Amino acid sequence: MRRLLGGATLAGLVAGLVMAFGIAPREATQGNVQRIMYLHVPSVWVAYLAFGVVLVASVVYLVRRDDRADRLAHASAEVGVLFTGLTIATGSIWGKPTWGTWWTWDARLTSVSILFVMYLGYLLLRGMVEDRERGARFAAVLGIVAAFNIPLVHFSVIWWRTLHQPPSLMKPGPGAMPGIIVAALLVNFAAFTLLYVYFVTRRTVVLGLEAEAEA
Amino acid sequence: MADNWSFVIAAYGLAVVVLAMYWRFLVRRERELDDAGVVRQQLRQAPGVSGHAQTEPGSRSPLP
Amino acid sequence: MVWKDFLVERRSKETLNSLFFFALLLLFVFQFALGPDRERLAGTLPGLLWLGFMLSGLLGLGRTFVVERENDCWEGLLLAPGDKSAIYVGKLAGNLLLMVVIETVLLVLFGFFFNLDLAGILPALAVVIALGTVALAAVGTLFAAMTAQVRARELLFPVLLLPVQAPVLLATVKATEAVLLGEPLGSVAHWLKLLAAADVVYVAVGVLTFDFVLEA
Repeated sequence: MRRLLGGATLAGLVAGLVMAFGIAPREATQGNVQRIMYLHVPSVWVAYLAFGVVLVASVVYLVRRDDRADRLAHASAEVGVLFTGLTIATGSIWGKPTWGTWWTWDARLTSVSILFVMYLGYLLLRGMVEDRERGARFAAVLGIVAAFNIPLVHFSVIWWRTLHQPPSLMKPGPGAMPGIIVAALLVNFAAFTLLYVYFVTRRTVVLGLEAEAEA
Repeated sequence: MADNWSFVIAAYGLAVVVLAMYWRFLVRRERELDDAGVVRQQLRQAPGVSGHAQTEPGSRSPLP
Repeated sequence: MVWKDFLVERRSKETLNSLFFFALLLLFVFQFALGPDRERLAGTLPGLLWLGFMLSGLLGLGRTFVVERENDCWEGLLLAPGDKSAIYVGKLAGNLLLMVVIETVLLVLFGFFFNLDLAGILPALAVVIALGTVALAAVGTLFAAMTAQVRARELLFPVLLLPVQAPVLLATVKATEAVLLGEPLGSVAHWLKLLAAADVVYVAVGVLTFDFVLEA
């Protein structure tokens, strides 16, 4: 089962790469740099998906006290932070040739960075509480607070940036994108979602083994 | 606009390295813990079922 | 609840004096770091003001449960009969009181040092500060309870609180900026709504989850 998932993920990623580099055309205004989008945008998606799963798993844990929910939340948060970091890094690499600078307080980059530090704090808390059960409870509470904070972060950052600056180039209307680019994006979305599921299942298993080893 | 292939390669290269490293971490950790779990189980079983020839007599040196 | 207020009173004496002094020091540090140039300082005032509030909040709120921990009353908190959310509300009220006192002092000091005319804009400013303070204290109280029993809590508390407070900081600074420029509150209505939403969400989550934090 896991082998199958792994194989599907690998196939998806290869297909994504083929779409990104082979099939999708060179974008007219940005040139080939735009191909970073096929990596960057699905990463953001996975990050948000991961943090959503953290919320659900946290609530389930607090209600049911099922250790598996706790492990799922932990695994999902870790993978989410991984992909948030990847999003920031690729966004920065894309920004250098496009904006001429590695970093600008662009609305998206800013909100993703805030999520990054927020969930890094979450992982830090998990690592610092000695008592496993108490750590799980605290982490669940933090996971809920952080998730509810996401929309607040989102709107505050958008208003903060766009009051004085035009919206970022990164967000062309959906209609403006040629179908083939959308298709390439969708393939990568699917591949990254599979990758997320694969990582989280494996990490959950590892966390279970860790708990067993400690017991 | 210029193509800046180096940036594209850097982005994808970075992603491949990071994701591969995380994957390797998962695989290694799991194998490590699996091995540890097997050893623990054997240790747990060994004293209980002493007659069971799971460990060969010669393989473990008797305590002096 | 009366018992809570009593505790708050007692802690306040310990904490308040140091916090007043800290607020004064902050003013000095800001001045020294940015130079005496009034013109340049004027643009950064809203940010400095909220930085001052946040830093004092980190110190003040972080001590929310110090009394219980140091006097071994933690078990008492855990075993307290009735609804745990009452404890949260009580602590939150105490923290709000503490923050309001500190913020008043800081505001007066700011007015004094930076030659601000606060009289005219005080009502508008009070609205912004009230909304921001509730958000800060609501999360701060919850996190203080979580970190109270963790090693390296002095480090973990700000590390957890600051990222979560990012939207509140953005909103309050922007709103304060407008108020200091003499603009009507209506021009920053969207920020105030965001702050109000944050207040509601934080307090609701705090009340609902505090039970789990204080579980034996």
